[in-house]
Amino acid sequence: MDEWIRQAEVWVGQAESWIRQQPPEQIYIAAAVIALTILVFIAASCLKSSKSNTIVLSGLSGSGKTTLFHQLRDGSSHQGTVTSMEENNDTFVLNSEKERNGKVRPVHIVDVPGHARLKPKLDEVLPKAAGLVFVVDAQDFLSSMQDAAEYLYDTLTKASVVKKKVPVLIFCNKTDKVTAHSKEFIKKQLEKEINKLRESRNAISSADISDEVKLGVPGEAFKFSQCQNKVTVAEGACLTGNVSAVEKFIREYVKA
Amino acid sequence: MLEELLIFTRGGLILWALSGGGAQASPVDALIRSGLLEERPADGAGFSLDGKRALNWAFDNGLGLVFVAVYRRVLRLLYVDDLLAAVRAEFARVYNPKRTSYDGFGDVFRQLHLEAQARADEMNKFKQAPIKPRPPSPVPVPLSHNDVPKVPGDDGGNDGESQQGGSDGESGKEENSGDPEPKDGGAFNLGILHRLRIKVIPTKDINNVNGNKNNNKGRKKNKEKEGTHRKLDFSDPVDGGKVTDHVVVKKGVQGQSQVDTDENVGDGPKAEGWFSSVFQSIAGGNTVIGKSDLQPTLKALKDRLMTKKVAEEIAEKLCESVAASLEGKKLGSFTSISSTVQAAMEEAILRILTPGRSIDILRDVYAAKERERPYVIVFVGVNGVGKSTNLAKVAYWLLQHDLSVTLAACDTFRSGAVEQLRTHARRLQIPIFEKGYERDPAVVAKQAIQEATRTKSDVVLVDTAGRMQDNEPLMRALSKLINVNSPDLVVFVGEALVGNDAVDQLTQFNQKLADLSAVPAARLIDGILLSKFDTVDDKVGAALSMVYVSGAPIMFVGCGQSYTDLKKLNVKSIVNTLLK
Repeated sequence: MDEWIRQAEVWVGQAESWIRQQPPEQIYIAAAVIALTILVFIAASCLKSSKSNTIVLSGLSGSGKTTLFHQLRDGSSHQGTVTSMEENNDTFVLNSEKERNGKVRPVHIVDVPGHARLKPKLDEVLPKAAGLVFVVDAQDFLSSMQDAAEYLYDTLTKASVVKKKVPVLIFCNKTDKVTAHSKEFIKKQLEKEINKLRESRNAISSADISDEVKLGVPGEAFKFSQCQNKVTVAEGACLTGNVSAVEKFIREYVKA
Repeated sequence: MLEELLIFTRGGLILWALSGGGAQASPVDALIRSGLLEERPADGAGFSLDGKRALNWAFDNGLGLVFVAVYRRVLRLLYVDDLLAAVRAEFARVYNPKRTSYDGFGDVFRQLHLEAQARADEMNKFKQAPIKPRPPSPVPVPLSHNDVPKVPGDDGGNDGESQQGGSDGESGKEENSGDPEPKDGGAFNLGILHRLRIKVIPTKDINNVNGNKNNNKGRKKNKEKEGTHRKLDFSDPVDGGKVTDHVVVKKGVQGQSQVDTDENVGDGPKAEGWFSSVFQSIAGGNTVIGKSDLQPTLKALKDRLMTKKVAEEIAEKLCESVAASLEGKKLGSFTSISSTVQAAMEEAILRILTPGRSIDILRDVYAAKERERPYVIVFVGVNGVGKSTNLAKVAYWLLQHDLSVTLAACDTFRSGAVEQLRTHARRLQIPIFEKGYERDPAVVAKQAIQEATRTKSDVVLVDTAGRMQDNEPLMRALSKLINVNSPDLVVFVGEALVGNDAVDQLTQFNQKLADLSAVPAARLIDGILLSKFDTVDDKVGAALSMVYVSGAPIMFVGCGQSYTDLKKLNVKSIVNTLLK
């Protein structure tokens, strides 16, 4: 032990004499560079830990996510869309806010394909999300109700969504069509379906090792208000440009 | 006449459509869902949606664009591939990621269309003399953004070859156009694999010969047995007559069925870190992947897949499809071609194995319960794959979820099948509906379902006899059973040990079910149960072959011979095992 201490003292002495030998400017410069690097790292980590500005658009295939994406970005849905094979990923200033004066913070929006085979893509994006918009086809709702509920259930029980309390907006799209259902109806139906799913999935047991979070309160019917993260419902129509509900949601969670 | 030509990004936005405004995207949507996302390679015949229209497509991987042409199938336009290649070259010059409308392209397209038609007419004139059938040549390598595109006139020689390749594909398709085509993925699979089978004749013949031998033996044995079968029928009479054995079997409580345990497989280490992504953005990749660069890596991957017992045709088509999606793509710096190809292949296999629809059986059972009908599952497959054993495992799993199950013994052919099922029923303490041997399975099934409805049973599991896929009378009987009873789920039980035969089994089953059904909307195989999975260590290729051929998801995996050995497929672990 003493050996070590003595060795250390010798080394410290050597270092001191070496430093004394250097011209003072070099030492100042070296110290300044080190301080600067540390400052840069601190600044970078500060910026990173601030709220991310990513909003994820998800939903079943054909519900209108890509149309919504383009409506938010360019203000028009161009010539139409087909089933997406890849995600649409862009950072931009919302189209409706382009005319605003002053600094407007750009928003990073990711439109994840809704096709069942491309579900793993959603898992890659969710951890970075500050908010989630779940797009539902209000016109064709009844036939796709079960699949939509299952998708929503899977999303709401992911640990990354619940732990970070990611807010979810259920956006009922295509309300410009005559046969579209109202958002209250859709909300109730989704709650019912998720309740059924809850019962069938939680009917087993203890051997469940998945990271799923149990939804709702046991013994009571499921309501969106029971979720730990905030879930709201809104309606609109992407083709006609009525997306103000989504924009409000985005602005609420990605501060300008 | 070309009905429609769409240019769209991989993210889904339509950039240009031939028919201007009211572009009908629904045939293209169907193409994307069943063709492109399932990694079907593009070939000369094109994808047929509903028998009336055919679609051909081309990718521009460097820019992330897809070009699709829709035309009436009857017309067999031969210049479509040529036209797509020309359109791709021209559009690449005009394309700008920021721009979303390309109205000026209409004139360019009209000109290209005329040129392509002219070239096709010329080729037709030259085809007076008989020409040796040549294998379809590859589509010309797409030009990168920076190169000066070839003058269309120079393309004449090159495209002439692909033209013939295309026309050979067309003539091959003509022979099969007589087949009645079932809807959806069925048509596409069968068309392609029919043609492939013409190439792969040696192995097919062996299979056929074996099948025929089995048939002959089976028939002879049937005739011999008829005289003596009365004596050998030990089945207990149904109306509670003399019971020969009084063995009381204790209900086997064996613990948790493994279906409900969730396995988490971590992803492999991600190659891209912050460091390499920074360098990529600075250095920028400029090498464009060409077809020759891909060949060695793809060949190595294909061999690796085949050592994992993936059927040869499937491995070939998968490699073709991955090559098509990578050609022309810019190679990132600090990433080698082999790692890019590996990543693309991994993604493709992941996409194929991920189910295209929900496979939550419990939810469907509850839905049927609300409608006060039992949920009927029929197990089909060839001889000896484990239908009865896995049926019992599924029954055990359903029992654990507090559902009432009834077994239906519709295997009225194999000696001991009814007893086997009866023993399972006794151990699990569930009712079984049986009518002994030598009865019409379709009738037995119908009565079983009626009985189950009466006793308010939740699920009916129907066991059928194993049959070879090319045994016509037995397949007809199976088709009748399925169509008469319209089950909620038709599960094909396939064993994991099978190799190339899986492709044949599944295609034939689906085809026979479609052909021999009396109703136009035939029921095909809805799901696959992969049995004997514990006997293959890492040679898990059968899973990929079966899913690729049929498009049906793997619902269960049987991994042992006791009641609890039933699992759900862990897609990530299979992908890792296949590409290790």
